[in-house]
Amino acid sequence: MAWGVTFYRSSTGKVPAQEFLATSPPNVRRKLLVILEVVRAAPPPAFSGGGMWEAMHGTMNGYYEVRATRPGRRNYRLYCILDNGTKTELAKRGFDEPHIVVINGLVKANASLFSDGDYRRHVRKLGEHYRATLPRPVAA
Amino acid sequence: MPKKPNAYERYLAEQMADPEFRAEFERERREIETIDAIVNALDGLRDERGLTKAELARQIGKNPASVRRLLTASGNPELRTVVAMANALDADITIVRRSHGRARRTAA
Repeated sequence: MAWGVTFYRSSTGKVPAQEFLATSPPNVRRKLLVILEVVRAAPPPAFSGGGMWEAMHGTMNGYYEVRATRPGRRNYRLYCILDNGTKTELAKRGFDEPHIVVINGLVKANASLFSDGDYRRHVRKLGEHYRATLPRPVAA
Repeated sequence: MPKKPNAYERYLAEQMADPEFRAEFERERREIETIDAIVNALDGLRDERGLTKAELARQIGKNPASVRRLLTASGNPELRTVVAMANALDADITIVRRSHGRARRTAA
């Protein structure tokens, strides 16, 4: 089955992932979009990931990270949820196909780490809102 | 009736309207897909033979970590360079099983 890609939309109408992409350098934006399109064409587990698409663990279990790493520079990350289910489940969520839902993006200096607080505030809080809402809050 | 594009699809289309962006996008996409196809093909053959990554590494005299990296992550700059060169030269790289390849290992 074909997969779609969509941006999460917050309760205030903001689209954090699109805002993140718009403020990212053009080559980073391009790389992140390329990875999303490659994953869309070969959804998990078909795409090996190549270090550019990684399932997260621990408190971020259930999220996927898209990575554009620029050696010696800043590292740009997009955080996604895979929303899949039966045809009926997908219809309740407002989808007619499974979706890669792009929640938000974060940027960090090389060799630094995001704190769990960063993940909670900028990703999980939004992801929880997304998962708790029917139909899903996405940017139409 | 064609589906109305969503915000993501419209955003991507806007970016792709720039010919320079599109050309680089397609080049990067070809590279990622080629590397993915090579990695998947090698890993599939390894699996068919019933070899673990560590066993395959021992067969070729490499550290198991280097084989794991090649098959699971981006730690293969040489492969990326080879694929980029092939792309620049309008060539494809594929893994083709030898017709006289060794028989598949069976479970003991």
